Amino acid sequence: MTTASKLKQTLAGLKSSQATLKDYAEKARHDEAKAAFQEAHEVVGSIVQGMEERVSRIEFEEPQFKG
Amino acid sequence: MPGWLDVLLRSIGLFIVVFVLTRALGKKHPAKVTPFRFIIYTVLAVITALTVLNVVNLGFGLIALTVWFLLPFTAEHLATRSKWAHDLIYGRETVVIQHGKVLEENLRQARVNGEELLSELRNKNVFNLADVEFAVLETTGDLNVLLKSEKTPVTPYDLGRQVAPRPEPQTVILDGNILNEQLAALGLNRHWLKEQLEGTGVLLDNVFIGQVDAVGELYLDLFDDALPNPKPQVKEMLYATLEKAQAALTTFSLETEDEAAKNMYSEYAGKLQEQLDILKPHLLH
Repeated sequence: MTTASKLKQTLAGLKSSQATLKDYAEKARHDEAKAAFQEAHEVVGSIVQGMEERVSRIEFEEPQFKG
Repeated sequence: MPGWLDVLLRSIGLFIVVFVLTRALGKKHPAKVTPFRFIIYTVLAVITALTVLNVVNLGFGLIALTVWFLLPFTAEHLATRSKWAHDLIYGRETVVIQHGKVLEENLRQARVNGEELLSELRNKNVFNLADVEFAVLETTGDLNVLLKSEKTPVTPYDLGRQVAPRPEPQTVILDGNILNEQLAALGLNRHWLKEQLEGTGVLLDNVFIGQVDAVGELYLDLFDDALPNPKPQVKEMLYATLEKAQAALTTFSLETEDEAAKNMYSEYAGKLQEQLDILKPHLLH
């Protein structure tokens, strides 16, 4: 079982990246750049979701990792 | 009217007249014009100078100025309308090197000798005649050179590298003043700009030049050169964060014992790597 804290760290990094990508997607002046950032935002979003589910499952199964 | 007052008034008056005339005559830089235009400029200058200093009667001076302005103006206007007129007035460019070979006949017609040709090439930073594919002598007397393709500097296109299109940066702050037009062109407003400034802890009055780049990041140059410039690093940090996450995900897939989790992590690592490759040209230059 991977350390929940490392998971949470990675998750935090991904969440902030998600927000920055959205910001860049809105600010980009060329359609190509806009599309690239938007897609990255969505992919990172789905990863974040999947990982959040995993983290809550781990916390459920091993309550000592909660918090 | 006393002599000095006369000269003063003429100077001011003709200054304004000349200003209007040269604006009307267009944007060609005096160093890079055809001999025809150069003479026009010179004659206008001399007429003006002589009129200002009362060597020439004011009325006559103005008549001369008008003629020497109207004729070239009309000629140029005609030149832009008709190719025939253009060729007549400006002459045509002469090709002096084609397919790597010097066209001696054309050189002779243009009254340029070999030494001058080599000198002009050196002006364009070309020392080897062997490197030249094509060269043309323009109507201004300037030589423009096309190098052979293997001697032309490499572009991203040649390397087959994907490069993000990069639109021009906009200057939004100049001399401590906010340029609203440029901000609006970017789809931003003063509020956003003030937020950014607060973020870097710099006062608007301290900023000499502020530019916003293709991704919307603000770069500031301050009046006080002793202060280090705040370095924008958001793009690089974003790339680094995603890279770290990708490496972490790979590690997780190796460490976990749960089959489903293994597959999930490994799938995510793959997807993230794909995105990293796409984003690289946009985030890192």
